[in-house]
Amino acid sequence: MFSEMIRKKAFGISLAIFVILLLAPSFLSRFYIYFLAVIFVTALLAMSLNLCVGHGMLFQFHHGVFYGVGAYSSGLLLAKTALPWWMAFSAGPLAAALAGLLIGIFCIRLNRLYFGMLQISLGSLIWAIAFRWYDLTGGDDGIHGIPIPDFIASTTSSYYFVLIVLGICVALMYLILKSPFGSTLQAIRDNPERCAAVGIHVRRHQLKAIVIATFFGGIAGVLFVVVEGSIFPDLLFWVLSLEIFIMCLLGGWFTFAGPMLGAAIIVSLRTFVGTYTEYWTLILGVILILLIFFLPEGIMG
Amino acid sequence: MEGGQEITIAALSSTFLVGLSRAMILFVVTAGLSFVLGVLRVPNVAHGSLYMIGAFAAYSISTFFGGGSIGFWLALVFAPLVVALVSLIAERSLFCHLYQREHLMLLLFTFALMLILGDLTKIVWGAEYRSVMAPAFLQGSISVFGSPFPRYNLFLLVIGPLVAIGLWLFSTKTKMGKIARAAAVDMEMVGAIGINVSWVFAFAFVLGCLLAGLGGALVSPTISVTIGMDHNIIIEAFLIVTIGGLGNMWGALVGSLIFGITQAFGVLLLPQFAIVFPYLAVVIVLTLKPTGMLKSVW
Amino acid sequence: MLRVEDLHKSFDEFKAVNGAHLTVEKGQLVAVIGPNGAGKTTLFNLITGQLQPDNGTVLLNDEDISRLPPHVICRKGIARSFQIANVFHRLSVFRNVQISVLSQRKLSNKLFQPAARLVVDETHRILESVGLLDRKMDVAGSLSHGDKRILEIAIALGNEPKLLILDEPTAGMSPEETTTTMALIQRLAQEEGLTILFCEHDMEVVLYKTNRKSCARILKSSKPTWETNNAHG
Repeated sequence: MFSEMIRKKAFGISLAIFVILLLAPSFLSRFYIYFLAVIFVTALLAMSLNLCVGHGMLFQFHHGVFYGVGAYSSGLLLAKTALPWWMAFSAGPLAAALAGLLIGIFCIRLNRLYFGMLQISLGSLIWAIAFRWYDLTGGDDGIHGIPIPDFIASTTSSYYFVLIVLGICVALMYLILKSPFGSTLQAIRDNPERCAAVGIHVRRHQLKAIVIATFFGGIAGVLFVVVEGSIFPDLLFWVLSLEIFIMCLLGGWFTFAGPMLGAAIIVSLRTFVGTYTEYWTLILGVILILLIFFLPEGIMG
Repeated sequence: MEGGQEITIAALSSTFLVGLSRAMILFVVTAGLSFVLGVLRVPNVAHGSLYMIGAFAAYSISTFFGGGSIGFWLALVFAPLVVALVSLIAERSLFCHLYQREHLMLLLFTFALMLILGDLTKIVWGAEYRSVMAPAFLQGSISVFGSPFPRYNLFLLVIGPLVAIGLWLFSTKTKMGKIARAAAVDMEMVGAIGINVSWVFAFAFVLGCLLAGLGGALVSPTISVTIGMDHNIIIEAFLIVTIGGLGNMWGALVGSLIFGITQAFGVLLLPQFAIVFPYLAVVIVLTLKPTGMLKSVW
Repeated sequence: MLRVEDLHKSFDEFKAVNGAHLTVEKGQLVAVIGPNGAGKTTLFNLITGQLQPDNGTVLLNDEDISRLPPHVICRKGIARSFQIANVFHRLSVFRNVQISVLSQRKLSNKLFQPAARLVVDETHRILESVGLLDRKMDVAGSLSHGDKRILEIAIALGNEPKLLILDEPTAGMSPEETTTTMALIQRLAQEEGLTILFCEHDMEVVLYKTNRKSCARILKSSKPTWETNNAHG
């Protein structure tokens, strides 16, 4: 009964926050609207990673690859072809999920540590290709000025688009985690051997989780393109993947909404600390160390 | 053909030797990573940062001593020691307190260390490109199979096997080495027979990092020493230990050879996408042997 | 129902299981007895697929299951509990059992239905039969050792097994808990008609706490050879 009350409270709080965010553009400056949109995109990315890490204990160390694949697929299609925007947008998560499946098949055969290291390695291959293939991807510079459809081209309209997509995705992820699939995934996280003994095909279940997580990561990539209008290889670089990982840890990786909190904190810190010093990476490293020593389950945990 | 040179026997053999020399540096670096991986069961993500610090330290030491031959040899000796000291400080002050925690925390610590060391390097040495001069008799090239081959690479071809033999002697003939090998197989037993496990870890970590620093010092005359070296090398090192077999030092050698040689041939055949060649080799190896070519320590 | 023939398993040079033979008929309650280290858990691991035998066969209803992976063997009707408490420690007691029920009903992959509404009655029934119903919302990791072992059995029951294999079900329990657990096992065998195979190192438990038993000959720890003498007593 007590837990029912808390759940209602959490729902109430979430609803209140959502309403505030809906109204935000009317009283915030353009910079802050953009800033919030960036947080939303990052929050979705962090949530998608946590499906694997916090709820599945899969060492998904290079989740950024799928973010980048989603961004590059949709961005390139928008910039270089005349395909309608909805096709380009759909291509993002589909390409990301496909990459997730392929890389996942490779990595899933191995245990946790190997899984992570192999993923970093394979993901870096994709980064290297994007980095070098100047003709297609713009190489080091990336591509800027990607044509975004008019109805979401302005700062405010892109904000709303991102917020609504984020809301839908978060709701879907919630349903998935509360479903038998999600429950089984968490059981696998806790004790994969036991799960096998009760008849669960552990590897296959994990692979499905990866595909779902990378699908949402791809959506985040598309949203990035909508907000920024450009793509560049840093999206595929593994240091970004590390940042997302830290976001999940910071917010609370065994909780549902923790990653969103982590994303908000890290993006805010990065933006505002960045105005004072160029040594943001150092600060991030220190934050991580503090987390490891004092808050291993994150803020919400 | 999009290649940079004509494909002659001379070019092929020269390429092979270049790949081999590059593999020697990769081996020195990845042997250290493998060693830490074998004993501590944690891939040290900061390994690349220590390699980078080794290169920068080599620059500082050699410049301090005038930049000539003496400077180089002193740098080769002392830069790894500087790196070892840095790693010892990190280990004794912070890392050792985490040994009881689960492995993910150890791994994340090395992530944090990488982030911190990366920026610390930028603070201390700045973002410009640095370079180190090799001693005079190692500069220039000689003719091998009709192609010019850098003398410094010959030096690497000698150093590599020396390091390999040294490591082999150490791990099989010395007491510390045997303890480290035993610890890699069964840490609990080692503790149970009265050996201080924490010091074994510390020793393994520092030795691994020293090798990274040595790799950095060795590579410094051949490339521009700059920020970002850490990111590039750590990816390669991870790939190499993965295809070699986690924790297996000879696996690191095999992996380095595969990586270095395929990369050299990539430069010869398709320079723009040279990096794809070793990656493809990795994919092929892992498709056929998912746990690496040689037996992993665990 | 279950027949183990000439099973061998070595770890490097150590011969853990050396020519084991075992027969379990439907409806029996069979105990395998032996001192610690004799290889009982290894034998069970060979039967349920956590380990692959070097030689020999395991037959379930005349079907060779020797080399199948654990999740496939489970689907054939064998469920087991483990010697070291092997529960889902972050999940509630209810969800622990629900996982196996969902798996049994092939519902584990449902994505958009709330798990809280599925197979609730079946899960409650199992929890009640082992006496954990009042603790269903507790986090599994917080249970006492004895209760975790009982939860183990409950999870195994979720698979509606035809053959239940219990690895030292009373290990680490107090005398009271041992009595309760053995009574539970007996009840499961009698009322639910389950075929049960379990192992113990404590002879007293087997001989005095159960009155319907089959005996396995006591093993010597140096070279374990297994023979069973099935008394349908």
